[in-house]
Amino acid sequence: MKELIIAFAGNPNVGKTALINSLSGAKLKIGNWPGVTVEKKEAELTYNGVKIKLVDLPGIYSLSPYTIEEKIARDFLLEEKIDAIINVIDATNLERNLYLTSQLLDLEIPTVIALNMWDEFEDKGYRLDIEKFEQAINAKVITTVATKGKGVNKLLKAIISTSEKQNKPNFLKLSQKIEESIEELINYIPEDFQLPKRWTALKLLEKDEYFYERMEKKDLLGKLPREEIIDDVRKRLEKYFGEDIGTLIPEERYGGVNSIVKNVLRRPVERKRELTEILDSIFLNRMLGIPIFLLLLYLVFLFTFNGSGPFIDWTDGFINGYIGKWTGIILSKSPPWLTSLIVDGIIGGVGLVLSFVPLMFFLYFFLALLEESGYMARVAFVMDKLMKGIGLHGKSFVPMVIGFGCNVPAIYATRALEDEKARKITALLIPYMSCGARLPIYALFTAVFFRHGQAGVVLSLYVFGIAVAVIVGLILKKAVFKGKAEEFLMELPPYRVPTLKMIWSSMWLRTRAFVIKAGTIIFITMIFLWALINIPYGAPPEKTILGVTARTIAPIFKPAGFGDKWQAVAALIPGTIAKEAVVGALGQAYGAGEEEEGKEEKSSFWEDSIDQIKGFFVAIWESLKSLATWKSSIFEMEVEESPLLKKIKNAFTPLSSYSYMVFTLLWIPCIVTLGAIYQEFGWGILGFSILLTTLVPYIASTLVFSIGKFLGF
Amino acid sequence: MKLNELSPGEGGTIIRIIAGDQKLKRRLRDMGIVKGETLVLEKVAPLGDPIEIRVKGYKLSLRKREAEQIEIEKLNKEAL
Repeated sequence: MKELIIAFAGNPNVGKTALINSLSGAKLKIGNWPGVTVEKKEAELTYNGVKIKLVDLPGIYSLSPYTIEEKIARDFLLEEKIDAIINVIDATNLERNLYLTSQLLDLEIPTVIALNMWDEFEDKGYRLDIEKFEQAINAKVITTVATKGKGVNKLLKAIISTSEKQNKPNFLKLSQKIEESIEELINYIPEDFQLPKRWTALKLLEKDEYFYERMEKKDLLGKLPREEIIDDVRKRLEKYFGEDIGTLIPEERYGGVNSIVKNVLRRPVERKRELTEILDSIFLNRMLGIPIFLLLLYLVFLFTFNGSGPFIDWTDGFINGYIGKWTGIILSKSPPWLTSLIVDGIIGGVGLVLSFVPLMFFLYFFLALLEESGYMARVAFVMDKLMKGIGLHGKSFVPMVIGFGCNVPAIYATRALEDEKARKITALLIPYMSCGARLPIYALFTAVFFRHGQAGVVLSLYVFGIAVAVIVGLILKKAVFKGKAEEFLMELPPYRVPTLKMIWSSMWLRTRAFVIKAGTIIFITMIFLWALINIPYGAPPEKTILGVTARTIAPIFKPAGFGDKWQAVAALIPGTIAKEAVVGALGQAYGAGEEEEGKEEKSSFWEDSIDQIKGFFVAIWESLKSLATWKSSIFEMEVEESPLLKKIKNAFTPLSSYSYMVFTLLWIPCIVTLGAIYQEFGWGILGFSILLTTLVPYIASTLVFSIGKFLGF
Repeated sequence: MKLNELSPGEGGTIIRIIAGDQKLKRRLRDMGIVKGETLVLEKVAPLGDPIEIRVKGYKLSLRKREAEQIEIEKLNKEAL
C-alpha cells in the first residue's frame, strides 16, 4: 500500500499537535528524535485506502539552524522523502507565522497551509481573502479550529490532493535586486543538484555554516559554485543595500510577508483589550507575580502528591500484597529462592514501576495544564533572574520544587525546558532536592540523636541539598556546560483554555512511555539488586554478596565517619530501590529485624479480590478528600520505637549520623529516577548523573565529618 | 537610545541591532526585530529582568543584556 509522509511544521503554540490528534483520532505516538531529547510525535491513519504518516516537527520560528529544533526540522524536511508539508499557522498572528512560511516555500515541497485558531481570528474581527492568498502562494489554504476538530476533513482532502498532484508552491518574492542575485547563483548550481536551487542559493548567500557542514558530509561541496563567485555576489548586494547579508535576508523576508499580508488581511479598526493582557496584569504584576506563582506551584505540588498518594498505596498493596501474596501461595511448593525471586524480584519490580503510574498521571495533568494554558512561559519570565546565575532557566524552578516531593516526576517535568543545556543541568541537580522518601531516614536518625530540635535538623538537610545544588550547578556551568548561555528569547503566547482532550492525550502518552521505556531498565535493575541482596539464598546479611562487598569497601567511608559500620554501607544499596528502604535494610543488617509480619490474616482469594476492588474506591475517595486539604502529608515523619533505635544509638555518634544523613540525601536517589534520566537523556547523562551522585555525597559527608570533628562535635 | 532604557508603556521604532554576535542577531531578526518595526515595552519582570515587549502583534520576552543590543528611536505615546 502506498504511504504518504506528511510533515507538520509551524511556530510553537500554533496547535500542530492538536491538529494531528484530530486528524488521526488521537493515535499519537511519542518518542525522541534520534540522538537528542527533543520529543518526536507521530501518528498514522488510513484514508480511502491511502496510508498517511503524520510527523509533528518541533515548533520553530525559522529554519536558521541556531536551535536543535530548527536543525531537526530542517534535516527532516530536506533529507526525508516528504510528500507534503502542512504549515500550521496561528491565524491571529499572521505576520510572524508567515516568516517561517516564506522559508518553507523555498523548499519547493508541495504545501498546504492550515490557518488554525480561525474562530479566535474571526472573533477578533479580522478578515482574510483566502482565494487571493491561495493564488499568491499557489497552495491550498484551509481554515481550521484544531481543538474543536473543525476543518479537519477539508484539510485531509487537501493533503491527499496536494501530495498526489505534487504541485510546487510559489515562493515569496524578495526585492528585485536580491532576486537577481539569487538567479545569478542558481546559474552556477548544476541542473541535477539534490537540493532545491533557490534555497541553496540563499544558503550560499547567507554563508550558512550548518548548510556547509551538511554538504561536506554528503560530499557535495564540489558541486557548489566557487567561493569567489558567491563572495562577489554577496559583496555587491551588501554594498548596494549598505547592510550585511545576515540583516538583509530576514528583513527582505519580512518585507515579502508584509506585502502579502497587506493584500489579503483586513484588521479590525479598534484593538480590544484582550483577556491575555488582563491576566498578565495580574500574573506578571511586579508585586503579585512571584507570590501568585509560588502559590500556584504549591497547589500543583500539593495536588500532585496528595491526590496520587492513595492510588500509589493502593497500587503498591495490589501488586505486592495481593498479586505477590497469591503468587507466593501458588508457588508454595517450589524452592523458596525461586518464590522470592518471582515475588520480591519480578513482581516487586513491576510493582515499583506501576506504583509510579498514579504520580505520573497527576503530574502530567498539571504540567499539561500549565503548558497548554500558556502560564509556563510566564513562570520563566517571573523566575528567570533567580535561576540564570547557575546556568538554569526560569522554567527550571518548577521541576526543582517538584523534586522535593519526588525526583522521578521532577525529571519528567524538565520537559518544559526548551534550552537543552539548562535542561540537562536541571536534571543533574534534581537528585539533590530532598524527596519525601528520604524523610524516614532523617526521622530515624534524628529520633535517636536530635530528639530536641528534630525539625531544625531536618530542615538543615533540605537547605544542605539546595546549597549543594547551587554549588554543583555553578561548577557544571563553569566546567562542563561551558560556552555562552543560550539567549533568552521567548514568546509569551496568549492564554488559552486547554482542552481536556489535549491534556488527556499528554497524560496518557507520557505515562505509557514511562512504563515502557523507564520501566524496562528499572525492572532489570530490580532483579539485579534482588540477586545482590539474596545470594547466597538464606545466608545471614553479612554473608550475602551485598554484605561481603559492603564489608570490603566500608573502609573507604572512614573519612565520612561511618567506615567502621558495614551495615550502614550495605543499606545504601537497597536504598537505591527506594530511599526509605535504607531504614528496613539497616534493621535487617543490624539483625534488629522488623517484627515478623507473622500473623497474616487468613482470607480466601475471593475475599481478597473484593477487598482490592473496595480498596480502589476508597483510594478514589481518599484522593478527592485530600485534594480538599491544604496541608501536604509528604513532610510528615513518624518513627516507631524499635530495637533498631538502640543499635543505632550504639553504632553512630551525632556527628557520624549527620554525615550519614548527608550521604543518603545526596546519594543516587533511586533506580526509578535513574530510569527516568535514562529515558529522557540516554546513557551519557545517566552515567554522569551516577558519577555526580556518588562523588558529591562522598565529598560532602567527608567535609561534614572532618569539619564537625575539628569543631569538637 | 537602547531598548532597555524604555519604561513600561513606552515604545519606539527599531533602528538596528548592535550585537556583533551573528547568532544573536539572526535570532532577534527571526523573531521579528527588524528595521522600521515598532515595538512597545509592555512589562518588566518582578525581579527587574527580563522584559516583555510587543512586536509584530505578539509578545516577546528577552533579557536586558539582549535588549541593550537593540537601538531604537523613541516614539510619542500617540504614535504607538
